[in-house]
Amino acid sequence: MGRADLNWNPFDQSDPGPCIEVIVMNSHNVIEGWRALGLECPEPLRMKALLDTGASVTVISKTFAKYCKLFQTSEGSEITAIGATHPCGEHAGAISFPDTDLRPFDLIRIRSVDFVKQPYYAILIGRDILQNWIITFDGRSKRVTITD
Amino acid sequence: MAPSGSFSTELKVFERHREEWSRSYPGKFVAIQGDVIAEGFFGSYAEALKAGLRKFGARRSFLVKQVWKTEPVYCIS
Repeated sequence: MGRADLNWNPFDQSDPGPCIEVIVMNSHNVIEGWRALGLECPEPLRMKALLDTGASVTVISKTFAKYCKLFQTSEGSEITAIGATHPCGEHAGAISFPDTDLRPFDLIRIRSVDFVKQPYYAILIGRDILQNWIITFDGRSKRVTITD
Repeated sequence: MAPSGSFSTELKVFERHREEWSRSYPGKFVAIQGDVIAEGFFGSYAEALKAGLRKFGARRSFLVKQVWKTEPVYCIS
């Protein structure tokens, strides 16, 4: 069983929410396919992710999806956020959690949208991933604990 | 590097079959590149992606799409 401990102060207006370090890269199946073809594989990228119980799916900033060269598998589907609709891309990717022993996710669908003026995180971890975890929040110590 | 593609041809192929597929394979996933459809419908995104990689390789993007009569809209609140 893996575990991660995070700090989150919900009473601090400048705290964006419970964030975890993640490494996003292409799935191993895609990387193997590229290597077999002699194609270049981008380096995995470490970034901050927000645990977002309000997000039905996991969403990465389009800028970072391009930077990671995530293998794209669709475009044009829609995401709504606070009443507005945004077009999103879909990619096959892998997410792991450095410095923790949480189980990584390989070959999952990750949507991409433009994150506007968002300096704190590059990815929202949605309920498609959260459903695999037990998450507790201790308000007194302001600690979030994830176990899988 | 495999380019991230425009999927206009693949989406047209999908739309041509949407009505029929949504009756026969609702909720299943299909992989399409150009106007070529990978054999079979799959129970998960990962299975469809692997089938697409077997059929088309990784050089060029291909569409992986879940079969629904109407497109779902995903919500972030």
